[in-house]
Amino acid sequence: MKKFPKIDLKELEEDKKRNHEQRLEFVRIYAKWVKKTPNKVWSKQHKEFIDN
Amino acid sequence: MEFEYKNNTIKFERELSNLDELVLRFTRILDRQKIKYVLVSGYVAILFGRSRQTEDIDLFIEKISFEKFEQLWKEIYAKGFECINDSNPKDAYDYYLNDSLALRFALKGTFIWNFKVKFPKDDLNQHSLENRVKVELNNETIYIGPMELQIAYKLYLGSEKDIEDAIYLWEIFKTTLNKELFEKFVQKLKVQDKIKELEGAK
Repeated sequence: MKKFPKIDLKELEEDKKRNHEQRLEFVRIYAKWVKKTPNKVWSKQHKEFIDN
Repeated sequence: MEFEYKNNTIKFERELSNLDELVLRFTRILDRQKIKYVLVSGYVAILFGRSRQTEDIDLFIEKISFEKFEQLWKEIYAKGFECINDSNPKDAYDYYLNDSLALRFALKGTFIWNFKVKFPKDDLNQHSLENRVKVELNNETIYIGPMELQIAYKLYLGSEKDIEDAIYLWEIFKTTLNKELFEKFVQKLKVQDKIKELEGAK
């Protein structure tokens, strides 16, 4: 190993928080899409995801 | 999502996944044995389209005698399932169910997915069972816990996955919830500070 990487715990913590917020944002957007999408359409995608 | 929600019944049609088919296969056994049950937690979110995997399906069954449990056990095995954590029905009944521990049933030779079956151990569990919601899915019937408690309890559990489930169910059902009842669960479970997560930043 040439050089051990620098670890900035404060930055990692902020990244973790941002990732978490983005994940929650995705769940809200996805739920809104499911809500306005016909069952036949969203459930086809959902089935493929669950069965894989 | 098209669904009809009235008289404590949610009616909808959609494509079924292998997970849904397995849930129907297991709950038909409970129906045939005339055992009251309620599906709770992660599967409830998945049932309505949440895009996540799970390894188990949580359910409470009403407290039953050992004799009735033995009949259930026999039918579960006859229908191709087995108990993962105990092979003896008497021990399973005495040391798991009666001690508020979960029995796990899966298709023979598999672990995933498995049904985590418990007796209700407190008023909240009992509330789920007594106020279960009927779901008519493609002309099959299953029962789930009341959404007001499902969402509040997910906020209480508080892991990333649970908060995501709560947000998802909130978004799908927020216009149909009994808000007064929901607020009551939120207060009792002391999760008022987590409510803001449901809608996110404006």
